[in-house]
Amino acid sequence: MKKTILITYVISLLSTIGLAQKQITKEGVIEIFSETSLFTIEAKNPKVASILNTENGEVVASTLVRSFKFKEALVEEHFNENYMESHKFPKAIFNGQIKNFSDINLSEDSTYPISISGKLTIHGETRDILENGELTVKNGLISANLTFNISLKNYKIEIEPNYKDRINDLIKITVHFDYKPI
Amino acid sequence: MKINITQIVIATILMLSSSINAQDDLLSILDDIVEEDKMEVAYTFKSTRIINSHSIERMKAKQLDFRVNHRFGELNSGSYDLWGLDNALISFDLGYGITDWLMASIRRSTYEKTYDGSLKFSVLRQQTGKRNIPIALSIYTNAAINTLKDELIDSNRDDIPLSLRLAFTNQLLIAHKFSESISLQIMPTFVHRNLVNYDEENNIVAMGVGGRYKFHRRVAFMCEYFWTNHTANNDNYFNPLSLGFDIETGGHVFQLFLSNSRIMEESGFISKTTGSWNDGGIYFGFNISRVFAIGKPKE
Repeated sequence: MKKTILITYVISLLSTIGLAQKQITKEGVIEIFSETSLFTIEAKNPKVASILNTENGEVVASTLVRSFKFKEALVEEHFNENYMESHKFPKAIFNGQIKNFSDINLSEDSTYPISISGKLTIHGETRDILENGELTVKNGLISANLTFNISLKNYKIEIEPNYKDRINDLIKITVHFDYKPI
Repeated sequence: MKINITQIVIATILMLSSSINAQDDLLSILDDIVEEDKMEVAYTFKSTRIINSHSIERMKAKQLDFRVNHRFGELNSGSYDLWGLDNALISFDLGYGITDWLMASIRRSTYEKTYDGSLKFSVLRQQTGKRNIPIALSIYTNAAINTLKDELIDSNRDDIPLSLRLAFTNQLLIAHKFSESISLQIMPTFVHRNLVNYDEENNIVAMGVGGRYKFHRRVAFMCEYFWTNHTANNDNYFNPLSLGFDIETGGHVFQLFLSNSRIMEESGFISKTTGSWNDGGIYFGFNISRVFAIGKPKE
């Protein structure tokens, strides 16, 4: 009996140490937006998972492409079937690092500009990205906000010539993650 | 604070992983979170119809499908009628997704000036994952009313009551998507007509098969056939066979096909198909579908 308590205690102690350095979200939000003079496309995905290592600024994020929800079911269908091919490439993944993480003081509530670099995988294609955003610290909890553009061509997402006036090659991506300690 | 087993597992993994290659482990933890228990195998067919008959697909909540359907005259009617294009039967059709699993439709067809209303319940959806469901199942039920003038329905009667103008169709739609290009559907069907010719049965049992072969991002070959028990002993009627293509443009789905039936309502094309593929009783037809989003989607 004593042994069990001791083991439980040791494990919980170890895990507190282990956990103190990571924050997680399972409900991060990513929105995508494309606009041309003919057609506007927007979608929201509220099911993005991400972990931030608060020791060194490592960030990973992952989501199912299927989780992007559109107002029009038909556009959602085209997004999945024709462009993202989510049956072949079900996930979008980011794996990177906040470069200036050492400038951030996690014990002081404030908003800090960040520069984040890493590998973004969409449609089975991995590209290096380097983008700027901001990090907000409040009561030790971290929120991340990031807005950037990606080019569909870069990720080999093919738009047929006669749809080019309806789908912008540059897609605006807006990221909002509210992390919590695990 | 609520203690959650996944959190404990994640915590333990995190703890153990901090010494090893941290970042790859972070990703593998995310894999466990992001992986869903079930992945729906969606988009079995492009629209709510295969050709004449309904597919397992339904309108999702707050989506409205407006369809305009044409069936032209006989292909072998010669150049005077422009191979049938001078004679069209049409129908207008509105289908609305009340919820993600229930679609309601109303339709008006030229043939017998028929109005019909239908419900389609999406009961099972094909999915993979922990709970593997190999098929999609929808239940389709339809009531149709013939609104021709009395003397056109039966010249011997002066008054045909409402009940004799009704016909009902019930179908099980069972489909399996084999791959991105091949989907197959079978349709056990029961039709009841309140008014029939003296030598015909009121009840008809039919079995339909339909399929698609999607050979291009936006184009698919479609086919559909119904075997019915009442064509076996009756030379006036034939089993409906339809072959055609689904072509989708950005906002519309066009279905272009040849069929030996000109009737669009289920009880009609299953029981009263008079054309025959053997002697030129073939008609060209098309459906146009345009889907509108009504209101906001749910989060």
